[in-house]
Amino acid sequence: MDLFFWEIARASGLAAYAALCISVLSGIAPRTQALSFLASNRAVRALHDWSPWIVIPAALVHIVALLLDATARIGILDVFVPFLTSYGQLAIGLGTISLDLLVVVLVTTWLRRRFSNNAWQWWHRVSYLGFGTMFLHSMLSGTDLTSPVIAALSWAAGIGIAYYALERLGKALNPARIRA
Amino acid sequence: MKANSPILPPHPERTGPARPTKRSGPVPAWGLKLGGFLTTFGIFVGSFGYATTHLYATNAPLQPATVASVATTAATGTATATARPSTATTTTTTLTSAVQTTPRPAVTVTKKS
Repeated sequence: MDLFFWEIARASGLAAYAALCISVLSGIAPRTQALSFLASNRAVRALHDWSPWIVIPAALVHIVALLLDATARIGILDVFVPFLTSYGQLAIGLGTISLDLLVVVLVTTWLRRRFSNNAWQWWHRVSYLGFGTMFLHSMLSGTDLTSPVIAALSWAAGIGIAYYALERLGKALNPARIRA
Repeated sequence: MKANSPILPPHPERTGPARPTKRSGPVPAWGLKLGGFLTTFGIFVGSFGYATTHLYATNAPLQPATVASVATTAATGTATATARPSTATTTTTTLTSAVQTTPRPAVTVTKKS
């Protein structure tokens, strides 16, 4: 049974990574036109608003499977507090941090009306950090990333999002260029 | 001009550079959502299949302690067997009192029938 949970944990980890890529990319896309070849900004925005429905289940399955896998030796505390595991402290701890940041982003989004728009935007920018830590977590601990094909796809997704994130940052820092 | 006049005033001419028209793709929001779900689910199913067929990744970055100890034991055993096969055989063989040793030299050539 341990092996079944181990397989589920590996598969759901990659699925969570893909779901988070979709979520982050659809969040950046309306300003960068990254997905304009595919759909209108309104449709991309709708995808971004809906994306927690794929991110949360994938992340939950990943965590629950690791909790049930006795070999992985991940405890409840390890899920929320980083760097407590008996092995792979950095690799697993980065995953814990990314989960904590994901929770922060989701909760602040659901409480968006209670924040000013500026404050909410700053909270939402935490998702870039969350994606970065999840990327490092997957690279440092991903068993399936030993496969060249899976590693290439994961790197391509990460580099693509980093490119559009930098483009988005450039436009945010230089708004006069957009108006010109 | 009267407020209820049927003739509307002409639109004022726009000045300045014309706004470039950007064509966006035709996929509706539900199509993107469906695509997102199918991508995630497809990756889950595909990865599960891959994990099933590649259960033990010896070069995986994380090796929990139990797996590591088993791997170390297996690796040590293999190395011993490769380096000193005759010694390994000698240590595992136990002679009972019913088995008599012989002073004859060991048979090194076996004739085939």
